[in-house]
Amino acid sequence: MFGSAEAAQAHGGGLISDWGGMYLTTAWGVMALLVLIAVLATRNMQKVPSGLQNVVEFLIEGMYNFLEGMLGPERVKKYFPLLMTFFLFILASNYIGLLPWVGHEGPEAGGIGKYIPPTANLSVTAALAIIVFMSNHIFGLLTHGLGYFKHFFSPMWWMLPLNLIEEVVRPVSLAMRLYGNIFGHELVVGSLLAMVPYFVPVPIQLLGVLTGAIQAFVFTLLATTYIAGATEKHH
Amino acid sequence: MDFNIKLMAWSFVNFLALLYILNKLLYKPMLQMLDDRKRTIAESFQQAESARQEADRIKGQYQGQLAEAKKEAQEIIERATKMGEEMREDIVKNAKVEADRAIKQAHTEITREKNQAVAALRQEVATLAVLAAGKVVGKSISVQDHEKMVKEFVDEVGDLPC
Repeated sequence: MFGSAEAAQAHGGGLISDWGGMYLTTAWGVMALLVLIAVLATRNMQKVPSGLQNVVEFLIEGMYNFLEGMLGPERVKKYFPLLMTFFLFILASNYIGLLPWVGHEGPEAGGIGKYIPPTANLSVTAALAIIVFMSNHIFGLLTHGLGYFKHFFSPMWWMLPLNLIEEVVRPVSLAMRLYGNIFGHELVVGSLLAMVPYFVPVPIQLLGVLTGAIQAFVFTLLATTYIAGATEKHH
Repeated sequence: MDFNIKLMAWSFVNFLALLYILNKLLYKPMLQMLDDRKRTIAESFQQAESARQEADRIKGQYQGQLAEAKKEAQEIIERATKMGEEMREDIVKNAKVEADRAIKQAHTEITREKNQAVAALRQEVATLAVLAAGKVVGKSISVQDHEKMVKEFVDEVGDLPC
């Protein structure tokens, strides 16, 4: 990362920072948290919900209904788990950066935290984008068979290069957007913390609440659009 | 910007694992439950609707029965009124007949009494007349003569209208 290698070296580290192990540790933490919430929310489920079950239900049902509006009642059943997992993982990853003991990127703070939002690392967001890319084409192939490749030649055969470029740009933009937003946020907060540890970073942190939700939603929304486009029965 | 293949591969695997776990632990049971709830609510609405229809039906039935009962009551009252009327007429008629009969009987009685009285009066008048005549003539008349004369007189007078 920017400066992280130097920072790690400055702190005499390099053991975990050299390949980004702290991102992985945090990612596992995020996953463990999500699984814990899942277990708590679905344990002893009631028809009349309350507490945690209510919150999780609100998220799941809200996202399900939203995706149903985009995909229709048939496809949403198939693709909902994937898309919801994108949303939950990215949202939890973004928000984990708001916790006080999670370190921030930055010239000074870079090496302090062992835990850094996984989505502030391009390798992580790239993995997510690759999953979108792959699932999008796999679902397209499963839906249309080999006829799926026809859409690369539409509307005219000589559009093929442009279509291919678009297919490559999509995951790259997905990965860069998410990484850029979260990393940028962490960088700003880290810099501000290094300069003025009190009060000043608070508005930026509040902005992070907004950014975290918006980026998680945008990623999910775009993934849904791609999958919807690839699996649409248009002929 | 260093790009780390190892971290990317880990993230890839992580995500698929998370997808699998969450699908099993969260999405499936929760969506199933939401579906169940939706069905339960739909069923409840259906039940409420059918209960309402049943209530409407019973209400209609009761209203019908009530109207019928009212009609019947009206009929009974009418019948009773008619019967009362008839009875009244009957009684009045009977009373009239009875009264007529009583009047007629009274008339005949009166007539008979009158006739009797007239007859008695005649007899008395005749006797008095004969007595008076006897006094005038100056001699008494024997009982036989007397009776004979009375008889003659009565026969004579009897034809006269009184």
